[in-house]
Amino acid sequence: MDNNVILSVRDLDVKFSLRGRVLHAIRGISLDVYQGESLAIVGESGSGKSVFTKTFMGLLDANGSITGGSVLYRDQDLARFETEKQWLSIRGKEIAMVMQDPMTALNPLKTIGSQVEEAVLLHRKCTKEAARQAVLDILTDVGIQEAERRCHQYPHEFSGGMRQRVVIAIALACRPKILICDEPTTALDVTIQAQILRLIREMQKKYDLTTIYITHDLGVVANVADRVAVMYAGDIVEIGTCEEIFYDPRHPYTWALLSSLPQLGTRGEELYAIQGTPPNLFYEVHGDAFAPRNPKALKIDFVERPPYFEVSPTHRARTWLLDPRAPKVEPPEQIKLLRKGGGGSHGRTP
Amino acid sequence: MAFFRIKDRRTADLAEGLEQSAKREYTQKELFQFAPYDPEAGERGGYSNYSYWRSTLRAFCKNRTALIFLCLIAATLLFTFLEPFLPYAPEANTIYWTEKAEVNIFTLEPVLDEAGNPVVKTSRAVNEKPGGEFWFGTNAIGQDLWSQIWSGTRTSLGIGFSVACIDALLGILIGVLWGYVRKLDFFFTELYNVFDNVPQTLLVIIISYILRPGVGTMIFAMCLTSWLQTARFVRNQVVIIRDRDYNLASRCLGSSTGRIISKNLLPYLVSILTMRMALAIPAAISNEVFINYIGLGVPPEIPTLGNLVEAGRKVMMEPALRYQLFFPVIVLSVVTISFYIIGNAFADAADPKNHVN
Amino acid sequence: MAEPREILLDVKDLSVTFGTRKKAFPAVRNVNFQIYKGETFSLVGESGSGKTTIGRAIIRINPISGGEILYKGERISGRISRELDRKITKEIQMVFQDPMASLNERAKVDYIVSEGLYSGERRPSREEREAKVARALSDVGLLPEFASRFPHEFSGGQRQRIGIARALIMEPDFIIADEPISALDVSIRAQVLNLLAKLQKERGLTYLFVAHDLSVVRFISDRIAVIHKGQIVEMAESEQLFRTPLHPYTQSLLSAIPLPDPRAEKGKTLRVYDPACHNYGETKPVWAELEPGHFVLGSREELEEYRTRLT
Repeated sequence: MDNNVILSVRDLDVKFSLRGRVLHAIRGISLDVYQGESLAIVGESGSGKSVFTKTFMGLLDANGSITGGSVLYRDQDLARFETEKQWLSIRGKEIAMVMQDPMTALNPLKTIGSQVEEAVLLHRKCTKEAARQAVLDILTDVGIQEAERRCHQYPHEFSGGMRQRVVIAIALACRPKILICDEPTTALDVTIQAQILRLIREMQKKYDLTTIYITHDLGVVANVADRVAVMYAGDIVEIGTCEEIFYDPRHPYTWALLSSLPQLGTRGEELYAIQGTPPNLFYEVHGDAFAPRNPKALKIDFVERPPYFEVSPTHRARTWLLDPRAPKVEPPEQIKLLRKGGGGSHGRTP
Repeated sequence: MAFFRIKDRRTADLAEGLEQSAKREYTQKELFQFAPYDPEAGERGGYSNYSYWRSTLRAFCKNRTALIFLCLIAATLLFTFLEPFLPYAPEANTIYWTEKAEVNIFTLEPVLDEAGNPVVKTSRAVNEKPGGEFWFGTNAIGQDLWSQIWSGTRTSLGIGFSVACIDALLGILIGVLWGYVRKLDFFFTELYNVFDNVPQTLLVIIISYILRPGVGTMIFAMCLTSWLQTARFVRNQVVIIRDRDYNLASRCLGSSTGRIISKNLLPYLVSILTMRMALAIPAAISNEVFINYIGLGVPPEIPTLGNLVEAGRKVMMEPALRYQLFFPVIVLSVVTISFYIIGNAFADAADPKNHVN
Repeated sequence: MAEPREILLDVKDLSVTFGTRKKAFPAVRNVNFQIYKGETFSLVGESGSGKTTIGRAIIRINPISGGEILYKGERISGRISRELDRKITKEIQMVFQDPMASLNERAKVDYIVSEGLYSGERRPSREEREAKVARALSDVGLLPEFASRFPHEFSGGQRQRIGIARALIMEPDFIIADEPISALDVSIRAQVLNLLAKLQKERGLTYLFVAHDLSVVRFISDRIAVIHKGQIVEMAESEQLFRTPLHPYTQSLLSAIPLPDPRAEKGKTLRVYDPACHNYGETKPVWAELEPGHFVLGSREELEEYRTRLT
């Protein structure tokens, strides 16, 4: 299995200095990404999920830096990269990114065709004609009809969904091995969202990609992910296969996240709500970061940071509840319903 | 502004409590019991104590150059206004006389009287070189350049401040109405187009001909057109923020236009307006210099930096007398450059985007 | 429900057009619906469908270009008297989508929440104002001591609750909630939804919920109207709509709902809506009630077909 690891993160620490204070954004994350899988990183805003993946591409803001740990990709430690030149050999060519807002990712003053062509030429030296053909091929691949005509158009002539397809085409043009999708569908309408997700899945097969999704939407996660990592306060609190996370979650935060979904709620009844707000990472976190918001927190949660407890070879969670000495705590009702299938009352389409 | 906000009492207590419970020693058994849960606790956490003005101040203080210039301008301002109260501070327009031995202009020999003593003639202390008696020398009619310059700086700064204030007042008032009240948009736009097409210099020239030249006329002439730019600037800013959600929310709550302007719009503009004012002062001073330079504006008996520069220019071609140009120009440069640099540094500091780090 | 219900808001033939004559863009076209007292009515559509415009037309931010809006039987669109204006300002309130943009960053929470009080007939006294602010804050689950802080000190969920407190202080009857949870983090959404539900129960509020996410809407609403390109295409009680969606657009929306359930999500089939499937060339579509409370927009043939599907 180890041979299949394409990206290996060990004890990664990222800190930002902000207004004279230090923000500990990533607090020692270890994670293996396997070749060909699709991994979803779920978390709220401020959980560090975007920062985490930015370290793979050298895109951290100027006031942030990797203060510890390693990011191994093909025997290179990305955490040690210093010059822009080193990053240029990785960025786009090996690891590409699709951002949330397609409009900011595209240059409004250039035609779609020339923007994709630029990306193609970055990857290989070829004649103008060959490049043009490659552009048309890739645009057709991402589902843009009449690519011949549309590649002469400008971004504003495209709808939001179409723009996101172009962004995906640009990302794929360099034939990357890993595609990071940062909230790829948040800015899009529901019906378009499903189409884009389907497209990314198809492209993953076709181009033999490893995809990493960053999202807060558990619907998206359920749709795309093979494995899911749940992030809270700069740490992965639980990681497992998609089914394990949805049907057999172990961390109280994952419980809370799932059972607070309106999709799983019953009308007229109160939803399970997580009180309070995520911790301020300017302050040092004692113990389990989620403890102050967890009604079932143990005393040890406030004293000592829990280690990972293994539930299955693919499933780990950072919670003292899995310690043999801990009292038994039942997961919330909604999660049991989800496990049984049919999941609460959420609607199936006719 | 809340520069020294005291942490809420209860929040502080809570933080302390958490700290204590973290330090407390638990027995192994106790550790795995449920901890008491306080839903309010989570509510308190996670707030930042970011303060706009404090961060602006911090960002400004990071700019060393601006700080140096701030000290420089503060010292200059202080001295300008203290100077008349210093002992032996002469009145600026006093003309000095001096006794000099008469010189034969052809032979350059001293002229002697019958007794063989040099002839001493009392004359104006014209074009005296800078020295012990006259620190900055005297000008072409025998006035002390030192007191002239400080008196002139006072007048010029007065003109600068007045113009900047009137300009800001008018500009903000009209700009906000122009930007926020849609019905007035057409009217003000046309008004702007008309006024903006009249060259300012022309207007100032006409006004100085019609009215009696003086400081008041000068301020009036400069204010007559300068508010236009400020108004337009304010208008554009208001248009950018007027349809933001928080303004719509205020409208939904039935807040009056006046309330929205004073509570929602102006507080957002205060930083850029301060900067504009800081830049308006040197602009007005250079304007004043220019108008005096072309011979209009303030009569020569009122010293201003403009008048002094103009007087210095006349003797510029004579190397020995160039000090008459240099001294006023140095003071002028210090004042305008300082204001300019401070204004720009403040603008950068007031931009929340620069509050990172 | 058989007994006649009191109509709180009646939107008749509403049209909203943006731009001037040459570049006129009809954002909302001939929309009809009624909202009953005490219910939650949802308008669901994609971005650009005009759902937000309708909400803003009701609260009079956007001027309307056709039709009328009646509130408690009185016309509130167009030119209205001062007293009525004051009355509906108090009774109709709005909760905005983005809590980051909808609070005045330069004012303290105290002012933000109490702002509505100043527009009343008389200025509130200081004690009265402070008491009301403290009350409104604790109603939305915030601590009264927050009144002296600035908005930027709060998280998204807290800010949204400040936004709700600001509306509540007016003691409204009717609240327009424009996507109140879509900008919030997943873990915070439930708080806000619970709060809205609790307030409705306690005070008998009526909600107009504007949203793009059908799955959330189902959880909270009594009735749902689906809007597409400025026209309502289908309107029904929420369970009815989920059970038997008739209009192809509704069906496509329902099929795209993201489900937090991997098995269901990975097996779902998408239905893509193509407006070309309608044949509106000869016959204009009509707005018809096919079963009690279930309205659909369609041509005569389509309506016939929908009817057979219902039986």
